[in-house]
Amino acid sequence: MPLLPHLFDSQLKLWLLITNPEIQDCLDNIEAEVLSWEGISFGMHKYGGMQFNCSGKEIGHIHSNGILDIRFNRKIKQALTEEGRINNHHIFTNSGWVSFYIRKKEDGEYAIKLLKMAYLKINSEHELTTGSLVPGLN
Amino acid sequence: MINNDKRQRLLGFLIPNIFAITTIAITKSLVTQGAEPTFIFSEFVIIPILIGIISAWFWRNLNLKGSVLSLYSCYNIFFVILLSFVFLREGVICLVIVSPLIFGFVITGAFIGRAMFKRNDTTLNASIITLLLFVFIVDSLSKHNYQNMVSDTVIVNAPPNKVWKNVAAFKKIKQKNTFWLFRMGMPSPMETTVDGNYVGAGRKCIFSNGYVFGERIATYDSLKNLTFDIVNQPRDPEIMNHIDILRGQFLLKDNGNGTTTLTGNSWYKLYVFPVWYYDIWAQSITRNVHLRVMQHIKELSEN
Repeated sequence: MPLLPHLFDSQLKLWLLITNPEIQDCLDNIEAEVLSWEGISFGMHKYGGMQFNCSGKEIGHIHSNGILDIRFNRKIKQALTEEGRINNHHIFTNSGWVSFYIRKKEDGEYAIKLLKMAYLKINSEHELTTGSLVPGLN
Repeated sequence: MINNDKRQRLLGFLIPNIFAITTIAITKSLVTQGAEPTFIFSEFVIIPILIGIISAWFWRNLNLKGSVLSLYSCYNIFFVILLSFVFLREGVICLVIVSPLIFGFVITGAFIGRAMFKRNDTTLNASIITLLLFVFIVDSLSKHNYQNMVSDTVIVNAPPNKVWKNVAAFKKIKQKNTFWLFRMGMPSPMETTVDGNYVGAGRKCIFSNGYVFGERIATYDSLKNLTFDIVNQPRDPEIMNHIDILRGQFLLKDNGNGTTTLTGNSWYKLYVFPVWYYDIWAQSITRNVHLRVMQHIKELSEN
């Protein structure tokens, strides 16, 4: 169904506006912080939500109900799971994807930490393959 | 004198709505002239997205928070709905049905717009707008035809000869409506009369607000099959103008144990698109019409 995920995501946004507008402000803060990093671009995720990219690769995406999805390798996923704040991805449970539920304002900091980890990982991979950091990153 | 921010804010409400109403007016007067009044996919999807994008363009320098952008989009949607009520003469129930779609896509458009204008990539932005307008034009010039059938079954604890007596015609339904749209005022079936028990006989289905559907019996196979074509149906600003019921059918199957399986079928044609959204409503409404009538037939037959 074309645009159906975006329709659903926008309705989640509307629901969040009614039930917990503080979380939407929190998502704005995350967006502002992540976009301040070098080499970051953002767009709409194909299944609805905001997607952050770095050097052509996805860092992660946030659905409008406050679910942050990030792909790590299994080793990092295991370590994060032991911290006890992340969950398996809400659909791809057996993959390296993790989901973090942003339920209160304070969760924003941890969400930024996770995105930063993914960002640095992509940068280090980029450096290994090309010998340089992503454009604009010193 | 209003400052620039206020002016931009105001234009973000004004211009998208003027654009929407002008575009729909042009489409209705030029493209669908002489044809059935069809509301196409683009009017419920592309125009709302463009409303959101145009608003986001006017608001691009205001640094609106996501919550404020969503809230402003809601204001815009209320204007859209108000304009639809005034200019398109849509009924309240229609507007309730269409609202989730409009809310979703105006907000989607506003956030697409925000992403577009933050990137400030003129080529990409022009491509997105051109693509949306291209889809709109192609959709406006395309033929739209969608028909479907809904089927429901009820087990009646009575033999077919008892059930059949209540199928062709039945007295007024006294039970209260349980379906929320009927309770909101959407017309529901109340009574059916028939001129005779033969093919070609006239049949009337009378609805709660006095609407009468004129029908003609197409198949009269006693104790088994009553099929009727709808030959005349009311035109109304509410749902009736966006769907045509083409044919109805009651099938009886003797279960051999004193019970009868009663099947109700209805064929309809939609004049609103996208089908993936409106057909959910059409099926739900048709199903509730079926169930109201069939439950009544069941009660009459079992008592």
